[in-house]
Amino acid sequence: MTTAEFLGIEMPVLLEAFIKVNIVVLAMTVVVMGLIYGERKIIGRFQMRMGPTRTGPFGILQSIADAIKLVGKEDLRPRGADPWIFELSIYFIFVPVFVGFVVVPFAIGWEIRALELGLLYLLATSSVSGLGFAFAGWASDNRYAMLGGLRAVAQGVAYEIPLVVTLLAVAMLSSSLNLGEIMAGQASVPNIVWQPLGFIMFYIAMLAELNRAPFDIAVGESETAGGPHIEFSGIRWSMFQLAEYAHLWIMSIVGSAIFLGGSAWPFGEELGTGYQLLLMGVKSAILIFIAMWTRASMPRLRIDQLMGFAWKVLMPLAFAQVLINGFVIVYDLPLVLLTVQGVAGIALLNWAIQRAVARPAGRPGMAAWAGTSEAATS
Amino acid sequence: MTSILLPASHEFETQDIFVNMGPQHPSTHGVFRMVLEIDGEVVRDVLPYIGYLHRGAEKLCETMDYRQGIGFMDRTEYLAAFNAELSYVMAVEALAGIDVPERAQWIRMILCELNRLSSHFMFLGAFGVDVGVLGTSFTYAFRERENIFDLFEEICGDRMMYAYFRVGGLAWEVTDNFVTRVNQVLGMARQGIADLDGLLTQNEIFQARTRGIGHIPAADAIDWGMSGPSLRASGVALDVRRDEPYLFYPQVKFDVITGTNGDVYDRYLCRLREMHESIKIVEQCLQNLQPGPIVPERMSRLLRTPPGEVYIRTEAPRGEYGVYMVSNGGNRPWRCKVRSACLSNLQALRDMTVGHYVSDAVLILGSIDIVLSEVDR
Amino acid sequence: MTSEAGAPDLSSTIWPQVDRALSGISVEPEMGVLDLIVRIPKDEVVRGLRALKRAEDLNFDYLRCLTAIDWEDQGIDVVYHLYSTTKKHNLTVKTTLPNTDLTVDTATTVWRAANWLERETAEMFGVRFNGHPDPRTLLMPEDMDDTFPLRKDHPLQDIKLIQGEGIAFPEEQE
Repeated sequence: MTTAEFLGIEMPVLLEAFIKVNIVVLAMTVVVMGLIYGERKIIGRFQMRMGPTRTGPFGILQSIADAIKLVGKEDLRPRGADPWIFELSIYFIFVPVFVGFVVVPFAIGWEIRALELGLLYLLATSSVSGLGFAFAGWASDNRYAMLGGLRAVAQGVAYEIPLVVTLLAVAMLSSSLNLGEIMAGQASVPNIVWQPLGFIMFYIAMLAELNRAPFDIAVGESETAGGPHIEFSGIRWSMFQLAEYAHLWIMSIVGSAIFLGGSAWPFGEELGTGYQLLLMGVKSAILIFIAMWTRASMPRLRIDQLMGFAWKVLMPLAFAQVLINGFVIVYDLPLVLLTVQGVAGIALLNWAIQRAVARPAGRPGMAAWAGTSEAATS
Repeated sequence: MTSILLPASHEFETQDIFVNMGPQHPSTHGVFRMVLEIDGEVVRDVLPYIGYLHRGAEKLCETMDYRQGIGFMDRTEYLAAFNAELSYVMAVEALAGIDVPERAQWIRMILCELNRLSSHFMFLGAFGVDVGVLGTSFTYAFRERENIFDLFEEICGDRMMYAYFRVGGLAWEVTDNFVTRVNQVLGMARQGIADLDGLLTQNEIFQARTRGIGHIPAADAIDWGMSGPSLRASGVALDVRRDEPYLFYPQVKFDVITGTNGDVYDRYLCRLREMHESIKIVEQCLQNLQPGPIVPERMSRLLRTPPGEVYIRTEAPRGEYGVYMVSNGGNRPWRCKVRSACLSNLQALRDMTVGHYVSDAVLILGSIDIVLSEVDR
Repeated sequence: MTSEAGAPDLSSTIWPQVDRALSGISVEPEMGVLDLIVRIPKDEVVRGLRALKRAEDLNFDYLRCLTAIDWEDQGIDVVYHLYSTTKKHNLTVKTTLPNTDLTVDTATTVWRAANWLERETAEMFGVRFNGHPDPRTLLMPEDMDDTFPLRKDHPLQDIKLIQGEGIAFPEEQE
């Protein structure tokens, strides 16, 4: 049996993997609780409120109190729900997120397994959770849930492509799909310098993948009243919450590892592992903070605007980025060209958004409307 | 099994689904219920149901003394209770032929305009939530609304159900520091409007969401009997304060804000701009405020009106709030009909919504700014 | 404050134009506290309303309010409050329905605004509007079609006795 070294001890590979997975899952649960508390506190401050204050000093025990309350709640299932799909759907949502942690590099050399196709693996697993939303929406026997589930799938499929393609463009530059290698390759210059447009597109697509504002149409409380979550209660609902914040965390770590240099930039490998973890934590915290900031201040998009933005704006720009990266690599052009192109691309993106905003929407169902008697009498 | 690929002429049998929104849906602003017939994401038909908050205020008014009806008017329109009280007391005064002292009228004007401010703040906050800013607009708006309510509380001891206007004048004199406090509140309100303007109006997504949605042409809006900012957004400059003046509105300068497109964005913008006009009006009222009596010198203890009828209309925040009062000579109204602006505005909902996306249906409903207690009475 | 037709105080109002617009219909004018009131017989009221809307010098394109008054023995008055958004003048139109025949033609063909107002009036007073496009109840429960709350004979305190049956939960009925 092959052996591996963990914390200076030789042990079987399976045992080592088991220990590491447990550590990551435990850490993740704690981090998710912290994120929920942090989000409530941060959004509270944005909205001129205090956020949680009652449980423990500064309300830091709020997440624990919530967790206990949720575990104690009655587990309800609507009478008309499809029992198998209803109960399986939450596993389809949080298991893919959990297995993604296998390849996430927390510091240089600190991952459970450094897969050669790690990036591909991560994207492939995390996109499965869209299926879970469809299951949850369909099986709940609730029309809001179904509407929300359908929206989540449409949105997931649409934004998966720009997300993959922008990450692919970076992988071309690093000539690797191994997340650890991509991160370690940025010791001198982080990828955001060469791919500013790519980073912005990644961030937008990431927010959409996560169903977070301004792309939270699937769960938008003012329209679908919670969407796929609507019929879930107690521990099942808390699994949704866990998956959502774990996903946010994993994506922001991946984002900072791929674009912001992760724990490699600006100090390189000489920095101790503890400091590397801290650096990673700070970088991913910035990305998470921006996501929360967006949530507190941005209205929600409409389904057609959301899909149009993905298919008509993000996708051509993402493919163009791949093409340009290919040219630069094949003809050995200076990388500065990519920066210039990236800034120009951001300007183009902004122009496209402004143009879309200036054009008012019509009535998509006007033909149906014109046929009714009401329109005829007016 | 013949072929996996269906022939090109084949059409799937599809079915519209019905989504029941409300009366407990978070964005139906109270207990409004609408059944949406949707085809995918597009609304095919809307069937509104109201009446969940009907309390029979009109019937109750018929059984009580003229002075006791004021409290019911507060409850018909709880976001702008001063405006509702005003219509009622003006109707009684018109029937009984009572002259109201000048000071009382100026104070009534100030309070009504402040109430319009607070009501529009409520609209901005709730509308922001409809568009999806997660309550940030709500807390911004409520900060200012609380300031205004604090002032009202100092004057009449209540934050929503004032019952402060009386037939002939006011219940009691305002506090000594009234003018300073109103100025203070206006300053804060100005800041609050600027904050909300920055949060919502200048946001690209907000504009993209609201422009061109829920369009209603001016002729249709008039035909449906819409009024207030919802009508003015369609470009009809109809404002009871200017066209059929009451109180001292002819003596103050203000603009009637109109829109051009009659869409959700215009309705929102009309209300936002109207708030500045309200501030202007209150400032002019404060300059004109002179010491004096607040009730007529001679008021009979038992209020009887000669037989007759009057339809009093005033411009409430949501549109024309009318009170049609019929007297047969007794000490209570024979008939007291409340003309609700929201009810008429809500009738046009179907016209505005059909053909738009489901998410827009929520926005359009929000842009009418309904208060269900006024719709159902 | 009432006065007979042709009395001099009506000449300063819009009565001459109204009289011209309603030629051929028997009209009784009367001056209210604020607005001119005209009474039109119930068979001709919708024709009169349409004429008032179409008359160019009147142009009553806006229906402010539609309601009814229960005069007990003398029948029920249906009241229309009209307004012109261009000419900015008001008019109140009334028509009296005898208690034996509480029907009148619908005004929704003139203004769509009359739709919900007529539904409310119908359920509150028991007035039937012939040809109404959507004759359901508006504020009252859908099956409440035999009692009319705003009529004067509707009791205030004994409502429970009238509504009790069928409204309560099944287990409470025994």
